[in-house]
Amino acid sequence: MMQANRRKKNALRSRSEIILRSTVAAALVIFFFAFYFIPILIAFYGSFHLWNPLKGQFKYTGLKNWQTVLNNKLFWFSLKNTGLFSVAAVLARIVIGLLLASALFSRLVKAPSFLRTLYYLPTITPMVAVAFVWKNMYDPQFGLLNQLLGTKINWLFDGRYAMPAILLLTVWKDFGYAVVILLGGMYSLPMDCFEAAEIDGANAMQRFFGITLPLLRPTVIFIVITSFISYFQTYIPVMVLTQGGPGTKTHLASYLIFDQAFSKYNFGYASAMSFILFIIIAVLTGLSFKASGKNQL
Amino acid sequence: MKPAKMKSIGLNAVLLIFSGITILPFLWMLAFSFKTNAEISALSQRFLPRHPTWDNYANALTRMAFLRYFFNSLSYALVLSVITIYTSAISGFVLCKYRFRGRKLLFGMILSTMMVPGVVTIIPRYSMMRALGWLNQFQALIVPSLFTSFGIFMMRQSCTAVPDEILEAARIDGANEFYIFHRIVLPMLRNAVASMAIFQFLWAWEDYLWPYLMIRSESKQLLSIALNMFSGRFSTDYAGLFAATSIAIIPVVICYLVFQKQFIQGIASSAVKG
Repeated sequence: MMQANRRKKNALRSRSEIILRSTVAAALVIFFFAFYFIPILIAFYGSFHLWNPLKGQFKYTGLKNWQTVLNNKLFWFSLKNTGLFSVAAVLARIVIGLLLASALFSRLVKAPSFLRTLYYLPTITPMVAVAFVWKNMYDPQFGLLNQLLGTKINWLFDGRYAMPAILLLTVWKDFGYAVVILLGGMYSLPMDCFEAAEIDGANAMQRFFGITLPLLRPTVIFIVITSFISYFQTYIPVMVLTQGGPGTKTHLASYLIFDQAFSKYNFGYASAMSFILFIIIAVLTGLSFKASGKNQL
Repeated sequence: MKPAKMKSIGLNAVLLIFSGITILPFLWMLAFSFKTNAEISALSQRFLPRHPTWDNYANALTRMAFLRYFFNSLSYALVLSVITIYTSAISGFVLCKYRFRGRKLLFGMILSTMMVPGVVTIIPRYSMMRALGWLNQFQALIVPSLFTSFGIFMMRQSCTAVPDEILEAARIDGANEFYIFHRIVLPMLRNAVASMAIFQFLWAWEDYLWPYLMIRSESKQLLSIALNMFSGRFSTDYAGLFAATSIAIIPVVICYLVFQKQFIQGIASSAVKG
């Protein structure tokens, strides 16, 4: 029956459908090959070369770049840094997001839509712009943060505080996005579940961990995966706040790669590093899909 | 009654604290942008300016060709948003509503590019643009972003909510597929269009690295790069920078306010449930 139906549909396919579908499919194939798949191949190929576009160098050097990368302590340090930073940022984003979203969801709150817009404000402001605001607030002499906390911390030049400072800016910038997405998810949950649970005498905590969280799992996983991918590529906060310093304390992988690529023009070397980052992201994404029990989004 | 009230107070307190944390940097920025030079270099700082002045705004506007960068960024963000919303919608529609060989493979391919970090493709892309002679050209900003995998994914998800019966009915009435997409499907995707408008406009507005690599001449420079240059060249004149930043934030906020109703509806109804 299904087969027959499908065949009938095929026969009815109009010329305009064929034109539209072929044009779009062809455009997609060309675009994604030109700007993703071919560049990935070029990066891989280039990672075996001494590649400097300014000097016009492109010389085969075998595994040399890869060996240098694997023996580079700074690279491993920056990877570890990136990993820790990403885990902390994702966790903070999810925890704060869930906390505030369920608070806004709980009908005990006045003006939820105003607050939602307010929390979203940092998300919709350009990173370069707010990074400078935070750089100023972190200033040890006249910065707002030390004044508020009554401390004398040299946030950006003290190795112990520089990374947390970048993290704080990132969390501040991004938690609103999680609040909005999770709140949207909560509004789309079936209301009768909550009512039934309330009648059965489940308290707020039980309702949250028993109903809300399990039902929100796909949304939470979505945020975790997309956040991980973007935090693994954090660059602008480092560029504005610390430039990787003090020393090399705040080197994140992307910062190191961009530094090699576009201030030293070591394209081959940077490509080898970027490929390792790519593999790590691909493996982590694959694992989280597996953990989420779904093969597709 | 009483515990409920306590709970309400507790919740509202948490929300209020986060409101404060959210808004404080913005207030600090605004207050700073009205301070005089003497006040900024003073050792002890007050939150509010003692003698509020518009000088920093005047300086920002005159000293750094602010308006030029502003309009460069605005046209980049507008052009890119309109293009990518359209390409995402039509791709999402085709991938959702037509059955053809290789469709799943194509969609899988597009999705897989979401996890390709920018650092992998940016070096080859940069070389490609050099080879094409597109450095310092507007198309170098637009062409590599003509399609976005996230946008296509979102639009395809939203298209699943468009009932096939409507399309069939239109076909029986003799409508061709272009008419069906533009006049019937596209209006039904307005929530996704609104979400994409917010994301894409902001993405282009705050885009830094790619324009920084591509655009070299002052007259074509974008605002986000100019803000960073501003800090270096004048050893971070914060008051001027924050005056410029305060203005730089306005377009994205307006964009959000315009589209937020549909954006929120879109999230609640479908978008990211996977």
